[in-house]
Amino acid sequence: MQQASSAHIGPVTWSSIIASTCLLIFLFQKILWLVVPFLLALLLYYLLAPLCRKLVLSGLSSDFAAALLSGAFLLLVIGMLLLIYPVVIANAGEWQHTLMRYLEGGSRAVETLIYGMQQRFSFLRYSDISVSVRENMVSFAESLSSKHLSGVILAVVAWLPSLLLAPVIAYFLLKDGARLRKFIGESVPNAYFEKTLYLMYALDRTARLYFVGMLKLAAIDALFLIVGLWLLGVPSALMLGLVAAVLGWVPYLGPIIGCALSVMVTATDFPGEMPLIYSVIGLFALLRILDDFVFVPYVIGKNMSIHPLLTLLMFFIGEAIAGIAGLMLVIPILGIVMVIGETLEIIFRDTRLRARHAYAQKLRKQAANRDLGLQQ
Amino acid sequence: MELSLTGKFQAFTTGKFEAPQLATLRGISLFSQIAASELRTIRGLLHHRSYLKNEIIFDEGEKAQAIYFIVQGKVLICRQGRPIDGLIAELGAGQCFGEMALLDNSPRMAQVRAIEDCHLDVLFREDFMNLLQTHSHIASKITLELARLMGERLRQTVNSYVL
Repeated sequence: MQQASSAHIGPVTWSSIIASTCLLIFLFQKILWLVVPFLLALLLYYLLAPLCRKLVLSGLSSDFAAALLSGAFLLLVIGMLLLIYPVVIANAGEWQHTLMRYLEGGSRAVETLIYGMQQRFSFLRYSDISVSVRENMVSFAESLSSKHLSGVILAVVAWLPSLLLAPVIAYFLLKDGARLRKFIGESVPNAYFEKTLYLMYALDRTARLYFVGMLKLAAIDALFLIVGLWLLGVPSALMLGLVAAVLGWVPYLGPIIGCALSVMVTATDFPGEMPLIYSVIGLFALLRILDDFVFVPYVIGKNMSIHPLLTLLMFFIGEAIAGIAGLMLVIPILGIVMVIGETLEIIFRDTRLRARHAYAQKLRKQAANRDLGLQQ
Repeated sequence: MELSLTGKFQAFTTGKFEAPQLATLRGISLFSQIAASELRTIRGLLHHRSYLKNEIIFDEGEKAQAIYFIVQGKVLICRQGRPIDGLIAELGAGQCFGEMALLDNSPRMAQVRAIEDCHLDVLFREDFMNLLQTHSHIASKITLELARLMGERLRQTVNSYVL
């Protein structure tokens, strides 16, 4: 199947695509409780689909394979939650203490960094920037448990039932994906039938490339960071690398948070070792460059056929409309809307298809009226 | 027939719980070598379309995405807009057309229109490609029949030139 390309989309269609994407992001942020599990379900679907195919190949029915895989995943998640829960309860106090220690270490590192800059640049020397940054970080650390942490825990608990929907949605996607495609195909007039089916395959392909690309990118980033942090001698390189790679799914903001976490851990465990802290920041900067210029274009960008300037513009628009959710949703939505827009443009521009549809309608009307004028 | 609980579970795990109304598929030449259990898999992939007499199914030069199987009715294959002087073939129930769509990305080579009210089953290239991965033994049987069909059509063309 040919890949959807943005080369022959006209300016009116482009404007409609961008406007539709903005509208969808605006609407989706209102029903995030449904959109997030649905996106996770899509991710899971594209992850499990090859396994499902293998099970079907080994002789199971597609319904049973879908039930088996989704059920196994759901049990795995529930099992992990049941295992993690007592550990969290038992260690919550100690973890909070560790977190405060890392925040303190991080704020000291920032203070040292700013002090170093003040010594080097005269225009910063008389400002109280280091004091104000430290005061802000200390106040954040002090209010962490009372304000922020409880909020985060409550949000996780509130989101949990909704997130458990993901395996259920994935099950129906695995089980009924082909039936859904047939159902949609059968509701389309004959003249547009092949084009519409092509659209559905193109949509499926775009979504698969994006979600599988995201998983591949996270794996590449995790490997790069784990090896890099381990070579630098940073403790908990495995955990930090994994967390930073997953946070990388949130464009722009995620990598900054991932880097900040690694810097906090490094600054606390190696106080005063500024070259090591600079190396950790350098490692994240290098990953950013590699992501933007090598990994993303080859793993996601090339497949999505979206111009880098448009990608950047859409990130800003998405963030302005729906914050972090907008940042995360904007590219998959744009990719899907782009394929729909392109196909609709092809259909509406094709006067032959429209003429064939009009002729078929005329034939159907004639067939329906065939015996109405007969006398008894 | 009412199945026992074990029977229902077995039917669910193997996908053999649907009523075996596969006679129409058995009548299609391309599926002649395919077993009943395998026909169920193919049936899940086919799209059903109805065309009225004189309705155009596809045009010459159109992007080809699918192969069509005639379940009922007749179609006429001709050069674009020339059903009389550009007639290539008339096909009836059990035959197929547009088979090149399964093999390459080339555009349609002729126009096809219904000359009777028709019921067609349609198999998309993408579904056929997936079938090659998941059920290669079924796909290979279809491919073999397709090769036979194309060989036969080539023979007919050669004979028509010789005569």
